[in-house]
Amino acid sequence: MAVETLPYSRPPTEDPDLGMGKNLLAYQRKMRLIQTAKIGLVWIALIAFLTFALLQLRFDPAYVFSHYGFVLQGLATTLGISLASIGVATILALLGALGKLSNNAIAQGLSSFYVSIFRGTPLLIQIYIIYLGLPQIGHQLQSYGLTQLGHLFTLTAVQSGILALSLNYGAYMTEIFRAGIQSISHGQREAAESIGMTRWQLMRRIILPQAVRVIIPDIGNQFIAMQKDSAQVSVMGIWEMTYRANRMARQESKFMEMFVVAALFYWLLTIVSSWLEGLLEKRMAHAYER
Amino acid sequence: MNDNEIIRVENLHKWFGLLHVLRGISFTVKPREVLVLIGRSGSGKSTTLRCINFLEEPSSGKITIAGQSVMLSPGVKVDHQKEISMRLSTGMVFQEFNLFPHMTALENVIEGLLTVKKWPKDKAIPIGMRYLEKVGLLDKRDVHPIRLSGGQKQRVAIARALAMEPKVMLFDEPTSALDPELIGEVLDVMKQLALEGTTMIIVTHEMGFACDVADRIVFIDRGEIVEEGKANDIFNNPQDERTRAFLEPIRKVRLV
Repeated sequence: MAVETLPYSRPPTEDPDLGMGKNLLAYQRKMRLIQTAKIGLVWIALIAFLTFALLQLRFDPAYVFSHYGFVLQGLATTLGISLASIGVATILALLGALGKLSNNAIAQGLSSFYVSIFRGTPLLIQIYIIYLGLPQIGHQLQSYGLTQLGHLFTLTAVQSGILALSLNYGAYMTEIFRAGIQSISHGQREAAESIGMTRWQLMRRIILPQAVRVIIPDIGNQFIAMQKDSAQVSVMGIWEMTYRANRMARQESKFMEMFVVAALFYWLLTIVSSWLEGLLEKRMAHAYER
Repeated sequence: MNDNEIIRVENLHKWFGLLHVLRGISFTVKPREVLVLIGRSGSGKSTTLRCINFLEEPSSGKITIAGQSVMLSPGVKVDHQKEISMRLSTGMVFQEFNLFPHMTALENVIEGLLTVKKWPKDKAIPIGMRYLEKVGLLDKRDVHPIRLSGGQKQRVAIARALAMEPKVMLFDEPTSALDPELIGEVLDVMKQLALEGTTMIIVTHEMGFACDVADRIVFIDRGEIVEEGKANDIFNNPQDERTRAFLEPIRKVRLV
């Protein structure tokens, strides 16, 4: 049998002062718009000033317009390396966080060791070790007759770059995932346990879906940071934006021109990324809005 | 174990650090019985309830639910699988509802059927609808918890526990987090369950309700059962000094 309860009904009369509320709302909206417009003007002024200053200082815009395409061709590489790395880093971070939060001493040890090493050393050194250091081990292994294994240690520049960025960011993101998982209230875990879920089921069905929503902005920030840190893989001669800008700049000593172009592209890339991240965040908030 | 018992708790002890919160609790529950645990805040009644489905690991004692039993003593880890299989005999309703916020009301109710019992969706949904209807919330099936009132959330939580068809329902202060005007709808659902013969253990501060639905009342103080008996006897003629002191203010109100 169904239980009947009285629905709560709002009094039907309309508030006679509703106009006052509407006016107030319109006024607040207008003030916000004006503020946004003012900030926009400041931006435009700053950009205009910087452009003007550059033009006064023997900056060669013609060179920029004729050569920006060369840098832009590296955009796909930059973006590709960043996307692949954030993907692998996310998986590493999830494993790292689960390890840190598990009761298993081996899992805890592995993950804390991993985080400690990769947060405690510079990304550039990690790139050098993976790209230049590992093949040395590979050669040694090959000389022992372990040809297949030796090959595994000899990575291409792109592979090395993705591996280094993934491992480095995975370590930072482990902490983000751990904090996100721990931010979900204990009651959620108890409710899931009380209907008989195993630890893995409740992690997968209850905790992680909620934790992911919490950490989406942080993952977005990491992705933006990674797009810029990917410039460091240019030391291996990967033809991404920084390497291309560098190469073109050196040809005719047009350093300011080419590096400003590269900087602009990175900047635009991060603006687009944070806009996309905002959309994603909004989409995931659906269940949490009244 | 006696066929006439669904739950038997024997000599249950619980330590939080050096705090001895349960000091040898023993009681039994018969099928179709409604047992109400009363006592002051911090007396150990919630802990007792939470030990029955292992949300708190008991420090020592023996718990038997529907024929499965487990012995606990310090330093002995309970097998996780055993814990889970015993948990399936009980359904728990929490003070803070603990609905899953990323799921709709219906998804909350069928989550256990899908994930734990591995039922296909088309088999689970009719069951979920049936229990939502039982708590009077069928029209809210596609609504996320944030758009429900406290009373509605708690009723969905009750439906979620019922959907797993447990042998015993456990209620841990189910109305304590509710605004006064929302308490009634939750108590109505629980009364209905009691009428239908659901076996229940209820921890509550709603003494009027306790008196109405309880077949038996257990008064716990400082981790021990001080007195137990029929609702009328406990409320009108408490034997122990401590029970009398606890109930005195409530009885005064009832007399007025």
